[in-house]
Amino acid sequence: MRDSANIMKTETATDRLGLAMRASHVLVAVFVVAALAFAAIGSWSGDTFFLRLATEALIFAGFALSVDILLGYTGLLSLGQALYFGLGAYVSAVVLKEVPSFWAAMGAALVSALVIGFVTGLVANRVRGVYFALVTFGLAQVAAKAVYNTRSLGASDGLIGVPIVPIDIGVTTVMSNSPVGFFLFTLAFIVVLYAICAYLLDTPFGRVLVALRANEARVPFLGYSTRHARLAAYVLAAVIATLSGALYPMLRGFVSPELLFFSTSGNAVITVVLGGVGTLVGALYGGVILTILKSVVGSMTEHHLIVIGLLFMGTVIFLPKGLMGFVRPRVERLISGKSK
Amino acid sequence: MSTVLEVQGLSVAFGGIRAVDGVSFSAKRHAITTVIGPNGAGKSTLFNLISGLIRPHNGQVTLDGVDRTGASPHLMQRAGLGRSFQITNLFFELTVLENLRLAAQRLENVSRFLLPVKSSKEAFRRVDELVERFQLGSKLGELAGALSHGEQRRLEIAVALAAKPSILLLDEPTQGMSHADTADSAELIKSLAKDVTILLIEHDIGVVMDISDHIVVMHQGRKLTEGAPSVVRNDPAVKSAYFGDA
Repeated sequence: MRDSANIMKTETATDRLGLAMRASHVLVAVFVVAALAFAAIGSWSGDTFFLRLATEALIFAGFALSVDILLGYTGLLSLGQALYFGLGAYVSAVVLKEVPSFWAAMGAALVSALVIGFVTGLVANRVRGVYFALVTFGLAQVAAKAVYNTRSLGASDGLIGVPIVPIDIGVTTVMSNSPVGFFLFTLAFIVVLYAICAYLLDTPFGRVLVALRANEARVPFLGYSTRHARLAAYVLAAVIATLSGALYPMLRGFVSPELLFFSTSGNAVITVVLGGVGTLVGALYGGVILTILKSVVGSMTEHHLIVIGLLFMGTVIFLPKGLMGFVRPRVERLISGKSK
Repeated sequence: MSTVLEVQGLSVAFGGIRAVDGVSFSAKRHAITTVIGPNGAGKSTLFNLISGLIRPHNGQVTLDGVDRTGASPHLMQRAGLGRSFQITNLFFELTVLENLRLAAQRLENVSRFLLPVKSSKEAFRRVDELVERFQLGSKLGELAGALSHGEQRRLEIAVALAAKPSILLLDEPTQGMSHADTADSAELIKSLAKDVTILLIEHDIGVVMDISDHIVVMHQGRKLTEGAPSVVRNDPAVKSAYFGDA
């Protein structure tokens, strides 16, 4: 049909959101190639420290994805996303100490994310803007203090002695204490999380979230309940954060209440702003950049937070769209030039 | 002619001021019903009551024979109501295409809600129709915020019409337009009435008299009178509401 051919032509030529997402895919591919090169070098040189640090960077990058779903696509600033990262970490640690099964830990984390995300989402989504930021902050503080004071969860010490788990992924089994194996597994896991987010954002559902950020007042007249849409975005972000958090005890063998503290939530926001709000891929690059900074600058001076603070301010002022906000439009031009 | 929208004794008060006070009228199928009245007469509040943005304290809103009083805007949209706004209300940071596609995506089967946008054939077909009708073809890839005022007003109507509503509420569609653009828009609105029932708020009295089938005159929250343009034009009460008791 000539008609529908025409439609598809206008669609591909003018769908900026689709083009931007394809540019993000390209940048993720670059990221993966770089990560594989890093893994090769790491395993060849017999390194453990940097591989495990990079794995932690990936875990926090996955966590930052959840912040980007809320901030970059739905327009919601959460200052308490650590609640879900910590939830995943603790649920995973508790399950692994009872049953050392990767899939059991992940399943439990997923269910807890859906339940807790839904309930807290009902509370947080009663308000907007600054009040939403404050309520999410408050929810995370309540959770952090509750865990901090619960002896069965290790109180201020956290839970230690999380066993090494074999991760059976069908074709092979990865041990969580293998530096390069678990790094590669985490890389694949985070790419899958990215792919899920990217897929959902390119559906009518995802476009409703984009519409929410662009002009919330107009959304009801498209036939969508803004409250339901925001809640769905909130639960999705909770799931992404929780699943990322669930990997943490497998890497480190312990969890501590700090994972639920504001610094964790704040770092995720900084990660997304550094990497580029509303790009998804920015969370991955931002996660790595922030981890490198913390570790490199932290090894030179104990005042590394000053450096990170200055860098954050510099980014907001000089690169308000973050690293990917600068890089991605160039990639877009590159790939749209090719397709024409 | 059958009735699409029926409003009965609709009232709301803000802090003791009766913004809309016992207003009743109905909109007939494929007719253009226009609400006029001086500033502050309660016209936009009336639209907000009908479209669900404000809950009425009293009265009833019936759409296609079903009582929809107090339903939320998204439920009114699903019941077949489309509306535009007095102050342009678009997704300014999104393209013209995406504004239209978003507005049309409710036409797509719900089962496609979690499938890629690319496969939304129904929505894209509707976008194509709208693009042709509203002559937005050359602007599809531009951001809505980058359009001229006249183009934005046109897009605003197209967005309101995208989901094929049974009634279209247009709140001052020619607001801020040049004389030539106003005439074009009037022509456009008139042509739309072939497919959709229109409820209009309009200040340009020339346009009103030209395209309306039925006119409801509001003054200080109440309905002053209603009737065909020729009747309303010569009503002394209307003249005194607009020009004072001369």
